[in-house]
Amino acid sequence: MRYQTSIGAFVLAAALSAACVGAFAFDETKYPDWRGQWDRIGAPRWDPADRLNERAPLTEEYKAIHAENLADQVAGGHGTEPTHTCLAPGMPRAMNVYEPMEIVVTPHTTYILIDHIQDSRRIFTDGRDWPKEIEPTFAGYSIGKWLDSDGDGRYDTLEVETRAFKGPRAYDASGLLLHRDNQSVIKERIYLDKADPNTLVDEITTIDNALTRPWTVTKKYRRDPKDTQPFWRETICAENNNHVVIGTDNYFVSSDGYLMPTRKDQPPPDLKYFEATPK
Amino acid sequence: MIRKLIGATAFALALGVAGADAQIPDLSKYPDWSGQWRRPPGLGIQFDQTKPLGRGQQAPLTAEYQAIYEAGLADQAAGGQGTDPTYRCIPFGMPRMTSAIFPFEFLIQPHTTFILSDYNMPRRIHTDGRDFPAEFEPNFAGYSIGQWIDTDGDGKYDELRIETRGMRGPRSFEASGIPLHEDNETIVKERFYLDKNDKNVIYDEITTFDNALTRPWVVTKKYIRQVGPVVWFEQNCSEDNHQVLIGKENYFLGGDGLLMPTKKNQAPPDLKYFNLPRR
Repeated sequence: MRYQTSIGAFVLAAALSAACVGAFAFDETKYPDWRGQWDRIGAPRWDPADRLNERAPLTEEYKAIHAENLADQVAGGHGTEPTHTCLAPGMPRAMNVYEPMEIVVTPHTTYILIDHIQDSRRIFTDGRDWPKEIEPTFAGYSIGKWLDSDGDGRYDTLEVETRAFKGPRAYDASGLLLHRDNQSVIKERIYLDKADPNTLVDEITTIDNALTRPWTVTKKYRRDPKDTQPFWRETICAENNNHVVIGTDNYFVSSDGYLMPTRKDQPPPDLKYFEATPK
Repeated sequence: MIRKLIGATAFALALGVAGADAQIPDLSKYPDWSGQWRRPPGLGIQFDQTKPLGRGQQAPLTAEYQAIYEAGLADQAAGGQGTDPTYRCIPFGMPRMTSAIFPFEFLIQPHTTFILSDYNMPRRIHTDGRDFPAEFEPNFAGYSIGQWIDTDGDGKYDELRIETRGMRGPRSFEASGIPLHEDNETIVKERFYLDKNDKNVIYDEITTFDNALTRPWVVTKKYIRQVGPVVWFEQNCSEDNHQVLIGKENYFLGGDGLLMPTKKNQAPPDLKYFNLPRR
């Protein structure tokens, strides 16, 4: 299903205009300094203040799905955790920041770069409206707006709204699932901690049909101002991923290269397409 | 030809910008390479755009690596993947990622030029005057250092020269599996510059030094800037990857999710770790 919104001629003109002049005609001093390498503070769980996601305002239907998911994980499965096959985490989970994050601010786009699967994002700040049709993605389509919240003449807060998702997506490795209709809307307020310019705050509000109400979580990230040449590690999920899904079942490829069950008494996969006998 | 290298001055400029606490710098000295860049229409995914994929590339391989390549081609003819490592969603790495299988974008900042595509991890080309670190972790994209050059002395940079080292593998030049040496001592030098007569054409002259080659292999790639609105796609290789590697054998997941052979008379995987009868 394509997400139905709209690019109009005006927006197109604005975007083209930004592309032509944006790189060279702007007031550089209006934007905050978010450069550097940002690491998440704490473990990569969704709500830093709620380790087991017990405060997640799930609907009854999704409470049941989550309970089933947890039981499956205890039995050796992956439940509703979709990234074990190296699917992109998507939004909002990407903001767990599994690998260090770099933010590059330009007048027309703010780029969030994370060297993990496909977690990088473009946040368009060129004044565009939602396109009429958007190909859904795990990261969604993000439009941002810079705010000068304290009236000092400089931007300090980036407000972002993200729509047009595909799934499956979960909040974190617990498998806490977003609704399968993928109608999520994510709103963010990103700003530096006023007391510490090396702490970045992201207030994330998720509006999703698996929730009984909007769910707001605040995440924090740290940068080391002394690290002027940070190393950016390339994390390749598929390189050493031993999880294999065959049919609807998950299996594991052992270190000696054999297919293994992931659950007690799990039957082997159907090999009906093979004529030769197993090795 | 006057050539002005970015060195200590540019580094000082970058630091100066940081000191001014403004993230968006003065880019008036830099060329406008904004927008979405693609391979020319109708062109395939071969490494040297002027020659056909496969043996027609006439890659200057050593006898040893030509034999490895020929064995890989024979394996591909039999249904295997030969020496193309990317079927498991391993990154292309350098220099193959320059083939622009998917569109890419330049994001120029004084300290770094980013090359962003919705398939590869962000590529960072450091232009802050640094030297190669004494030690760094190899990755598929390598570690890239660039220098901006004003070739015509008009006071504006028009060419980006890059040297890339520190790669890991396995890597191949293209899908036919033309291999790079397994010692990963590759050095790739590039020159990016706009066509003097068409600002919507950019060239990348790529010279690969590798111990699998008898001499440096120079190819010049051409990319076309998209005029008008652009759409960025999210290409998640793992999302619909039907290739499965178990031990040293590659299998295929059929439309019904079941494991299939990729070669005639291929034996099924050994199921010695399963106790129960097959489904």
